[in-house]
Amino acid sequence: MRFVLTLCLSALLVIGTGCGSSESPPAARSVTDALGRPVSVDSSVERVVSLAPNLTELAYAAGGGDRLVAVTTADDYPPAVDTLDRLSALPVDFEAVTAQRPDLVLATDQVNPPGDTDTFEALDVPIYFFSFSSLDDVFDGLRTMGSLLGTEAAARDSVRALQRRLSCLRVRTDSIPLPERPRVLVLIGDQALYSFGAGSYIHTLVEAAGGRSITDSLDTEAPTLSEEFVLTEQPDVIVGAWGSSYNPDTLLAHHPTWDVVPAIRNGRVYSLPPDLLLRPGPRLVTGAARMATRLHPTLAPASTSCPRDTVTRTASSTTVSSAP
Amino acid sequence: MKRPWLVGFGLVGLLVITLGGTVAIGGTPIGWSAVYRVVGHHLLGVGGPIDPVTDRIVWNLRLPRALLAGLVGGGLAIIGVAMQTLVRNPLAEPYILGISSGASASASFFYLGFLPPVLSKSLTMSVAAFLGGLATITLVYLVARNGPRVSVARLLLAGVAMSALMGALTSFVTFSSPEPDKLRAVLFWLLGSLNGTRWAQLPIPAFTTIFGLGTLLVLARPLDAMLVGEESAQSLGMPVEALKRGLIVLAALVTGTLVAVSGAIGFVGLIVPHAVRLLVGIPHRRLVPLSFLVGALFLCWADLAARTLLPAQELPVGILTALCGVPFFLVLLRQRSYQFG
Repeated sequence: MRFVLTLCLSALLVIGTGCGSSESPPAARSVTDALGRPVSVDSSVERVVSLAPNLTELAYAAGGGDRLVAVTTADDYPPAVDTLDRLSALPVDFEAVTAQRPDLVLATDQVNPPGDTDTFEALDVPIYFFSFSSLDDVFDGLRTMGSLLGTEAAARDSVRALQRRLSCLRVRTDSIPLPERPRVLVLIGDQALYSFGAGSYIHTLVEAAGGRSITDSLDTEAPTLSEEFVLTEQPDVIVGAWGSSYNPDTLLAHHPTWDVVPAIRNGRVYSLPPDLLLRPGPRLVTGAARMATRLHPTLAPASTSCPRDTVTRTASSTTVSSAP
Repeated sequence: MKRPWLVGFGLVGLLVITLGGTVAIGGTPIGWSAVYRVVGHHLLGVGGPIDPVTDRIVWNLRLPRALLAGLVGGGLAIIGVAMQTLVRNPLAEPYILGISSGASASASFFYLGFLPPVLSKSLTMSVAAFLGGLATITLVYLVARNGPRVSVARLLLAGVAMSALMGALTSFVTFSSPEPDKLRAVLFWLLGSLNGTRWAQLPIPAFTTIFGLGTLLVLARPLDAMLVGEESAQSLGMPVEALKRGLIVLAALVTGTLVAVSGAIGFVGLIVPHAVRLLVGIPHRRLVPLSFLVGALFLCWADLAARTLLPAQELPVGILTALCGVPFFLVLLRQRSYQFG
């Protein structure tokens, strides 16, 4: 009893808030994040700090971008982030985050160490962790973002639009028979062969783009492939997250034994902007659409009932980026 | 006197079997017959058409890697022998004395683009690693020297301190470089790895290692005399100071060129000479060649374990050699009465 009292007193001294009383801000609700932690969030969130670029994109897609006050130094999308404050996320700059006086910090276990929650709790900064392993997680995350930021309706619309674009893509690729679906290897690194293992959202993207991902049955979540693996698997297409200006010849220079791999032999090494593949966020659908144009250059155009914007945007940027 | 020859022939046989085995074992299951058809096709020109994928895996990925493992293991082991004779203490070793870390730091400076390439990239890398290793060991040796004698405590402490400094420098340049694969580069230079070995990487380390082996064999008698004591070696008319300087340069040369292709792999030069001394005693004409063979065997097996221990993942081989080496080092450190022989 005395111990609890001392704890209350010291908490009072340090933080200056009541202990065990009901004086907490009006109508705070408790939500459970992806780590299974209860997080107490104000009903009206006004100052949000995002600790990962994909969370920033999700916040904007959910219609709550105006609540963001600071993002990471790696953020570059949407352009509106240019006016926001920047802070270091890896390792996280606790001082800078606290100085923003946020009423919610957004984090994801793919970027931020879950152990940081203890420090944030001690600082009395509410932090919510997201986790994305499938494309559905991204849509769920978008809805969650809407409910956290108080923009449920906008988030729902956004999810619906994304799902529509995805199903439009699927309609076009579903008719492709299995033998014509290329076996695709998606790589993150060109020298060290970082890739995606079982349970990753990337396999859903490849499948929606009309291909078959060859790493979907690997046990490790983030495998580093061996050159042997690629040689024996013989992928028909290699898609890399190396940016639009990547020269595909570099890949063969790094891995000279791959001259017998069909993807290299047939000149089917494509590089896409990393953000479209590596950020589990709203632009993954654009990534899938771009991948589809590479896997199936002669793919039938989208039907008129589908949103044209993705397709035309994809087509125009493809011409820019396809120059090797 | 039959025993050393017997041991030697046994080890050569074992090394051939090991090289054959490590080439046949790997992440991709390939039948032994297919593996040896590829090897036979390249070496003897026999055998019909071979599968190009198997060919690349066996001939271009596994074989150069196995050979490099042998070279690096053998080279580090004989340099361990040379260093231990130089300071007359069994605890000396290129990794512990900081040569590997110095070479690693210097090579990583070059690798990450902080130093300009001269002539070819691999040659410059080797030269940079050599100079880094030489600078480090010279400093360590000068700190530890006390008149004609070398203080072992000071030698080890200076070596450990320089290793830490050079490791910090390596990490610093790696993290401050724009290179995206930072973590991988740090792992490579600090822990060592034979991943991605190409045939083109083999000639320089092969040349220096064979050169080192030959030199130490020629110097077998002076080295034996050094072990007895510098005074007696001097009284036999040997240029002891020149010999010592030569050994230091040789150690930096071999270690540097090996580090340039494999990163800093530790403790091979500590374990192997000790084990070989137990087998055949201290005379260098037996110790040097047998240490080379045992070192080659040891690293071939360590690399095989590094490749196969975790499914679909590869460990830096330096982790495994450290796991074997550090307990060994501590036991040796404890046994103060350890004498050569």
